[in-house]
Amino acid sequence: MDSDQILDLLTAEIGEVVPDLAGRSFTRAESMAELGIDSIERSEILINTLEKIGLVLPLVQLHGPRNLGELADLIHAKLAAA
Amino acid sequence: MTRPVGVEALGVYGGAASLDVRALCLHRGLDMPRFDNLLMREKTVALPFEDPVTFAVNAARPLVEAMSAEERNRIEMVVTCTESGIDFGKSLSTYIHHYLGLSGHCRLFEIKQACYSGTAGLQMAVNFILSGTSPGAKALVICTDLSRFALADAEAIQEWAYSEPSSGAGAVAMVVGDCPHILRIDPGAYGNHGFEVMDTCRPGPDTEAGDADLSLMAYLDCAERAWKDYARRVEGADFRDSFAYLSFHTPFGGMVKGAHRTLMRKLYKARPDEIEADFARRLGPSLAFGQRVGNTAGGSVFLGLAGLLETAPIAAPCRVGLFSYGSGCCSEFFSGVVTPESQRRVQASGIAAALDRRHPLTITEYEHLLRGDQVIRFGQKDATITPDILPAAWAAIEGTGRLVLDGMVGYHRTYRFV
Repeated sequence: MDSDQILDLLTAEIGEVVPDLAGRSFTRAESMAELGIDSIERSEILINTLEKIGLVLPLVQLHGPRNLGELADLIHAKLAAA
Repeated sequence: MTRPVGVEALGVYGGAASLDVRALCLHRGLDMPRFDNLLMREKTVALPFEDPVTFAVNAARPLVEAMSAEERNRIEMVVTCTESGIDFGKSLSTYIHHYLGLSGHCRLFEIKQACYSGTAGLQMAVNFILSGTSPGAKALVICTDLSRFALADAEAIQEWAYSEPSSGAGAVAMVVGDCPHILRIDPGAYGNHGFEVMDTCRPGPDTEAGDADLSLMAYLDCAERAWKDYARRVEGADFRDSFAYLSFHTPFGGMVKGAHRTLMRKLYKARPDEIEADFARRLGPSLAFGQRVGNTAGGSVFLGLAGLLETAPIAAPCRVGLFSYGSGCCSEFFSGVVTPESQRRVQASGIAAALDRRHPLTITEYEHLLRGDQVIRFGQKDATITPDILPAAWAAIEGTGRLVLDGMVGYHRTYRFV
C-alpha cells in the first residue's frame, strides 16, 4: 500500500465521518482543519483509517503532519516499519 | 474482606457567573459547523473576588458544617488538588484549613498533575484510610481550578484560543473515610497509564498553551491503556458490562464521546447505533454539570460523578467506572459503588439550583473581566479587591454566606464570608 492509497482511505473516512464532505476528493496540500473538520472528527477519521489498514500504535505517534499528504506519508512510514 | 472506604460526602461549587459558550465561539469567529456535537453549553467564569481558595472553601464548607465537632476533628489530612496554585511554597490547603476551622492535627499539602490531580488526591486519601494507621480518621480532598487569562494582546488570544471555550472554573470537595455514603471505592481496582507528552500546559501563572489534536490523541491513548491495566488487575472486568454508569474527565462532552466510541469500537467492534445508545445511557448523565461550568480540571471526573448521581436512575446499588486524565500526562481508570442513598444526598445538596443563581455574563462584561484590571496576579504583594465591579454578579453571591477574596497584604491573601 502506497501513500496515495492511504490518502484514498483517508478521503473515504472523511466522507464517512463528515457526510457533508462525502464524494469530494482532496489534494495532498489540504488540511482537515482547513476543511472545517473539528478535532474530534479528525481523531475519528484517523482511528478508522488505522483500523482499516490494521495498524496498531499510540495515536500520539501520528501527531505533527500539517496536511493530508504529510499524514498519508507518515502513516505509510509507520506501516512500513510495523 | 477489606473495610469500606470511599467518599462520604461530596460538595460542588460552580461560582457566581457564567458565560454562554456558543456566543463566545461566535464572538471569537471560530468556525464550528457542528458545534452541537461538542456538547458544550455554558462555562463558569471566575470573578475578581474569586480564587482557588474561595472556590475550594465554598465547595467544602457545607460538608464540614454538616459534621459533628467530633467528626470534624477527625479530618487529619487536607489535600488540595490543583493546577491553579497561588504560591510556589505555601499550599492552598493552609488557607482552606483555616477558613474551614479544622483541627491543627492535620496534614496540609497541595498536589499537581494537570486534570489528573483530583484522582491522585483521592487515591492518596483512600490509601491513608486503608492503611489503618489512624483508625476512624477522615481526609478532605478538594479539587479546585480556574482559568483566568489576561487579554494582553492578540497573540495571547491566539495561544489560548484552543481552550478558551472549554476552560471553566469550579471546585469539588470530598470527605474520604470509612462510611462511604456517596462512592464506595473498589480497593485495588484501578489501572494507570502515563507518559511524557507536551499536549497542554500552563507555562505561566496566567497563560495556557496546547495542541487540541495532541491532547485528544493522548487522552484516547490513555483511555484505552488505563482501561487495559484495570482489566489486567480486576478479574472478569468488562468495560461494557461491569459498570452501570461511567464518568470520564470532561474537557468538553465531545471528547468523552470520542473516547467512549474508540473504546467500544476497539474492544467490541460495536455498531454506531449501539455506541450512541450506550453513550446516552451510561455517560450522558455525567455531563449534566460539566456542560454548565466547563472544564474544571482536577475536579471534572467528580463533577461527572455528581452529575450522574443527580440525574441517572439509580434504583439499587450499582458500579460506576471513572476515568481521569491529566495532560503531560497521567491517567487512571478506577471504580466504585453508588447507591440510591448516594443519589438522595447529592440531590439534596442543591447543585443545580446554585448554578442557576449565577449571573449570566454578556460578552462585553466577559471581555471587561478578561482585561484583568481587578484581578490579583501571581506574585503580587498588596491589593484591594473592589467586589462590585459587576453589581449583578456580586448580587449573585452577596448574602449567600460564601467566602470571597478581599485582597492581599504583604503577599498574604485575606478573605471574608459574605
